[in-house]
Amino acid sequence: MLCVRGLQRLKAIFYLPRNTSHRSLTSAEVLPKDDALLKVENLSRESKKGCMLCNVTVDFKNIQLLSQFVSPHTGRIYGRHITGLCGKKQKEISKAIKKAHSLGFMPVTHKYPEFMKDPRICSIKHLD
Amino acid sequence: MPRYELALILKAMQRPETAAAVRRTVETLMERGAVVRNLENMGERLLPYKITKHNERHSRGTYFLVDFYCAPSILDGLLNHLHRDVDVVRPTVLKKEEQEPKKNQQNRQRRDEKTRQEMKR
Repeated sequence: MLCVRGLQRLKAIFYLPRNTSHRSLTSAEVLPKDDALLKVENLSRESKKGCMLCNVTVDFKNIQLLSQFVSPHTGRIYGRHITGLCGKKQKEISKAIKKAHSLGFMPVTHKYPEFMKDPRICSIKHLD
Repeated sequence: MPRYELALILKAMQRPETAAAVRRTVETLMERGAVVRNLENMGERLLPYKITKHNERHSRGTYFLVDFYCAPSILDGLLNHLHRDVDVVRPTVLKKEEQEPKKNQQNRQRRDEKTRQEMKR
């Protein structure tokens, strides 16, 4: 009895249903037919694009520009992952905003209402 | 190029009084040996936050920008004088950055890129 069971199990193993829809790998199909070397775009070209403020001078007097990088609800400065600026410009903007705060040019806890309707540069979704 | 910039916030006053205050400030600057290069009026507007100065709470102010050249030794005395002036809400002296003209900047960028490429080789 036991050996019959064992034989049945062995049968089950040997007669596994084979998936015939899968294509079998042959050497001819491994290599793509077109180019052996795929052409990849020059990756260093991506870094030359620059952030959106590459040719713009950042000034503490230009509060309209600075207000675009600040939250309309709390007046907090957005981080780099939200503004998408490069390191240099993010630092310049941050410093200019803080300067404008202390000089009495830009509000700290909110944004001037006339700048609320400016186009949204930063990739943040407000639950308005 | 200007060496210093005075971001001056004056109390919201009538035109002749504002003019007198500005005149007073510029004359003080010139007495101390500064050369005033440019004077800009940014207009009267609502202050970003209420400022208390000289026992008075200000909500509106007139903004002025004065570019001038001067010796660094006079700045201390000048700021002292401006803080004491009753009509001045917030005086701030900033150093003005020397900006390179754009043509030179472009040439410099091209030169830097060339040296970078040569370094790679």
